[in-house]
Amino acid sequence: MRRWPCAPPGGHPCCNMPGTVTIMPQCHAKIGVAASAGSRHYLSNIRALVAVKSGVTMENDPSSSSLSRRQLLRMIGVTAGNAAMYQAMSSLGFAAESPYRGPIDLQGAPRGASVLILGAGMAGMTAAYELRNAGYQVQVLEYNARAGGRNWSLRGGDTYTELGGLTQHCEFDKDLYINPGPWRIPYHHRGMLSYCKRLGVALEAFVQVNYNAYLHSSRAFGGKPQRFREIKADYQGHVAELLAKATRQNVLDAAVSKEDQERLLESLREWGALDKNYAYVSGEGSSERRGYKKNPGGGLSARPIPSEPIGLSDILDSRLWEDIPNGDEFDMQTALFQPVGGMGRVGEAFGRELGPVIRYNAKVVDIHQDAQGVTATYEDLGTPGSKLTARADWCLCTIPLSILSQIPMNVSAAMAAAIAAVPYASAVKVGLQFKRRFWEEDEHIYGGITYTDLPIANIGYPNTGYHSSGKGVLLGAYIWGLDAMEFTAMTPAQRVQKAVDYGSQIHPQYRQEFDNGVAMAWHRSPFTMGCFGMWNSDSRARHYDDLCRIDQRIALAGEHASYISGWQEGAVTSALDAIGRLHQRAVAQGDKG
Amino acid sequence: MRSPFGPMMGRHLVTVLLSAGVGAGAVAADLSGAARASSSDSSGADVYNHICQGCHMSQGEGAIGAGHYPKLAGDLTLASWQYVALTVLQGRNGMPAFGTPENTVWEGPPGFGLVHLSDAQIADVVNYVRSHFGNNFRERVSASDVAKLSHPGSAAVP
Repeated sequence: MRRWPCAPPGGHPCCNMPGTVTIMPQCHAKIGVAASAGSRHYLSNIRALVAVKSGVTMENDPSSSSLSRRQLLRMIGVTAGNAAMYQAMSSLGFAAESPYRGPIDLQGAPRGASVLILGAGMAGMTAAYELRNAGYQVQVLEYNARAGGRNWSLRGGDTYTELGGLTQHCEFDKDLYINPGPWRIPYHHRGMLSYCKRLGVALEAFVQVNYNAYLHSSRAFGGKPQRFREIKADYQGHVAELLAKATRQNVLDAAVSKEDQERLLESLREWGALDKNYAYVSGEGSSERRGYKKNPGGGLSARPIPSEPIGLSDILDSRLWEDIPNGDEFDMQTALFQPVGGMGRVGEAFGRELGPVIRYNAKVVDIHQDAQGVTATYEDLGTPGSKLTARADWCLCTIPLSILSQIPMNVSAAMAAAIAAVPYASAVKVGLQFKRRFWEEDEHIYGGITYTDLPIANIGYPNTGYHSSGKGVLLGAYIWGLDAMEFTAMTPAQRVQKAVDYGSQIHPQYRQEFDNGVAMAWHRSPFTMGCFGMWNSDSRARHYDDLCRIDQRIALAGEHASYISGWQEGAVTSALDAIGRLHQRAVAQGDKG
Repeated sequence: MRSPFGPMMGRHLVTVLLSAGVGAGAVAADLSGAARASSSDSSGADVYNHICQGCHMSQGEGAIGAGHYPKLAGDLTLASWQYVALTVLQGRNGMPAFGTPENTVWEGPPGFGLVHLSDAQIADVVNYVRSHFGNNFRERVSASDVAKLSHPGSAAVP
């Protein structure tokens, strides 16, 4: 009995383990559930597939009753691989929607078996932790002098030297930090959340949507930032009014029945804060959404004054509606989390847990496999020019493809082509320390994100330390694409200066209150040479499976070997998937010596 | 396919308007006042200084970390202008392609899409790197030369 850690919705094309049988524990409990007509139809298709693929004709099998569903699932697992198995199980309602299945079970590790892991990021350390706990001899080689990889926080006193040789000294106050890489963990990234729990990493809420933060266009409203709540309420109110109008003018008669039109009108009034005439107008209704001109209070001066909605045309022309649904994205929905003290707490905790298992300052220069094992040649960066080797029965390589594509490694032409097929995204983050938390004190913005069409794209307010006096650090820029390339081409000091210049168009206090800053351009990162692997549907179809299949004794993992590009959960689930398959192979070979 | 960090730029790829001062490329407009002349050399310098330099560095010296960015200064592979132009057009390993057709809708996640250089911009930057950083290849490449090479998304590969 083996739990399978990585079988996302729609099936996972890399989960091919010919000759193995994988059953989830839930299958037993629910075997007795009657199949619906739909799933019966599906079953007969699967059976036909099994018959064709295995070259076996199942005689006397006209109905689903002659094979137990469990037997059927086992056959699908054997013949069509786990992806088909997972799809079949999804169809039968046995599989949950998340790729993470809880702690991986790697029982029966062969005595003396060893795994060499390249890279101490989320993927490498997830694998090292689990394999070590399962009894494997594990060694990790890491280029940096710290654990975590892109899981990282820059704090006061830290230094960072980017490619090109420029060194930044972070001068933030104690306890203030910026996450140059990932900064949020969605509630459904259960792998990441599980490791935070097991490693004792405390979490707090990450604020994605803040109704009092801004939507900003340099080309609308005279460049004046607009409160998210006002744009959202007004956009929604106007759309509701239009739809109500269309309904009442019988425009929707063909599409919506008369009874449903009644409900629709009722719901539009509620959704859009419309008045009794189905109009979106200034008044208590709309002000309860968008805020008042003068807020209700107590005493003689208490009477509220409603605010005036912005016209539909102004809102449409401003294009500020583009950023209204960001928090509706599956990955951005409440609740999200951040580790207390910075995202880097996860990598640090993993590093402490693994201790001497990780060798730091190790630059891998060659990876070679033979019939018995895998040898990595590496340079100890403390001894330039040195050539050391590490060897194990198996290798899990989590080195980003941008770098791995430059390291000699004897794998199949198909895997080599996959490694070379993934360009890396450009991204820049700038952390700015200010002398006071003016966004809270002056503008009542507590956490969350302001979106702008300026090249800085985002301003992220700290989701921690609210109301504290003293200095504060915010994310002054979070940039993708061409603007990120241009910021990358600047010096760190120029990037910080540009972030201050642009940000002061939104917060004029920047000029007065700016203290110091740090800038991370991911294409200047010595350990990733880019932010993350950019797949598209074409490259996925051509190369993804070849990237994820075990090549004799080498398996790859990392966000680049996942369908959750750029997220830590992709690294975690790809590592669990890969070591599950490596474990199967190791078990098949049996004890050493 | 989901975006890792939120939809912000839409699905269409960004065309580089290094001296236009609007939308994408606005940063460059601020920084490149001295290079707004329309001669191809300044266009090549603009493209290099605002895009290529991020990895290949200001003097084409490249960089070495866990991997490396190839140095362009004194690199003999630059003897083949086709090699250079194809690398810019199609990308190489982790380097993104810059020759994806302008009207392409990026199939990948929105928010960090492709960057498009025109054939003329690619010709200019190819000429620039082959005649700077101590490189002295005299042959000049035109937009029509670049147009004849295989672009991403086209069937023919030379």
